[in-house]
Amino acid sequence: MSRKGSAEGSDRFEYLQTLVTEFQDTDSEGASAGKSGKFSYDPKNYNHLRDLQVTDLFLDMLTEDNDNFVEFGMGGLCNLSMVPEFRDFILQNDGINLITNCLSKRNEETVLSAITTLMNLITINSRSEITQPGVLHCMLRFSLSESPRLRNLASVFLQDCCSEEQVAQAEKQMQGQQTALGIPLPKD
Amino acid sequence: MAAPVSHKQSCWKAPEVFKHHEQRKICISRPKYREGRKAKAVKVYTINLESCYVMVQGVPAIGVMNELIQLCALYGTVEEYRPLDEYPAEEFTEVYLVKFQRLASARAAKRHMDEKSFYGGVLHVCYVPEYETVEDTRLKLQDRMKYIMKTLHYIAKEKRQMEDAAAETTSPNATLAPSEATTSKPSTTVTDNTEDLSSHEYSAFPLIPLPPREYPGCYRTNLPTEDKMGTLHNAIVDKRHSSDNMTSPNTPSDTFRDQQVPLQASVRFLPRTTQLENRKRLAEEGTEQSLKEATSQSEIFIGPKLPEQPKLDMEDESLNTTVKIIRDTLKQVESVAEVKPVVKKVKKRRRI
Repeated sequence: MSRKGSAEGSDRFEYLQTLVTEFQDTDSEGASAGKSGKFSYDPKNYNHLRDLQVTDLFLDMLTEDNDNFVEFGMGGLCNLSMVPEFRDFILQNDGINLITNCLSKRNEETVLSAITTLMNLITINSRSEITQPGVLHCMLRFSLSESPRLRNLASVFLQDCCSEEQVAQAEKQMQGQQTALGIPLPKD
Repeated sequence: MAAPVSHKQSCWKAPEVFKHHEQRKICISRPKYREGRKAKAVKVYTINLESCYVMVQGVPAIGVMNELIQLCALYGTVEEYRPLDEYPAEEFTEVYLVKFQRLASARAAKRHMDEKSFYGGVLHVCYVPEYETVEDTRLKLQDRMKYIMKTLHYIAKEKRQMEDAAAETTSPNATLAPSEATTSKPSTTVTDNTEDLSSHEYSAFPLIPLPPREYPGCYRTNLPTEDKMGTLHNAIVDKRHSSDNMTSPNTPSDTFRDQQVPLQASVRFLPRTTQLENRKRLAEEGTEQSLKEATSQSEIFIGPKLPEQPKLDMEDESLNTTVKIIRDTLKQVESVAEVKPVVKKVKKRRRI
């Protein structure tokens, strides 16, 4: 992927930050919604987010060089992808490729968000692409990880999103490759 | 997390919730709640950070476990709890793991108990999704999906009711009685739903508050309306108009799927298609070589890879440093050797 101008990425990120602080400022004292940037987490905001084309922004952030931007974008997509309309938008905009790229990031939160998002994106049409052998191999490796969250999510993916035959075949292919050992898995 | 946030800070920190107790494992003497929360500019929050499992630190070691669990139980059913002896704790304090039956209870407990004083100590409460089993994680994700679907359904329904009410009141032939009936009917329905929602396990979700009441005629729920969203939208562009927008009701969009006119943003950015084309062009220019290599591979590799070997520039003069040193040394040695030629001693043969 080509390098994006950092100024361009910063502009977009500042815009999202402005959004977040707008939600923060209008938040009540008791609730912690805005203070922790939950604007993409609370479904009551989704109408507004749709209008502002925030999904598109999140997708764009995935190709940034700055890992923080990627984490932020991936987290936003993780939240929005549970909504059918946003899910379809992500799928129509090359989302699967962008998100599977995030599986190789070193930041664990980014990877966790990517796995969750992939699970949310599964539809009748997208299932075959999301459960491609490359992704299954990756999930198999993650299921051996020291990190419990990573292990659990990968296991849920393999158990709920793939057939047993698919997993068995992927395991068989992996035994031949010996690629599971020695490859650093994402860390904090 | 109750830390005050200033968006004016230029740095953006990675979420500390997860790193939180990882740091604790390394450094015993500095409990998290004393480290001082760094003001974070923006943190993105996902379902992976939350859990039914919470860890409570800073519980005074004076035998108040039962009291602690009773306090937790105020927020929802506690399924399990145990002291975490293996976890580093500040002197005279204990650490407990508590599993709530519902995620909403855990959320409420964290919100209310974190940073609160308890029998002379200060509690620190955080989620610990690391303690989940695969089944716990699965259920968590499923519950989250159900909650979202339900909330969206409810919002859509409310929107439809508002539209119906608006249509009724703007109709010139409408008499007072039917319009009242129409508006009163949805209000009771909404009230019921609100109660349902509030009694539902996800009522703990913090709700964005409504704007100050500008139009007392309308019923109000706890959920934000289009006006609120309209206000927010305009607030980004120009704050002065926000009050104007609050008084005039915005046209609600018909359905969730309606295409909206792209709103003016304070920051301009290129349309996505242009960006995609730009990226494509740059990628083609810069990475032709690597593309050829990639296509030659039979399978695309996804996931974390071994760190790449740093690429050597064979033209770089610094590669020859060692060679030069060796050559120079050899020259020096040769020149010294010329000054002192080795004289071979010839031994006379003894003739017997």
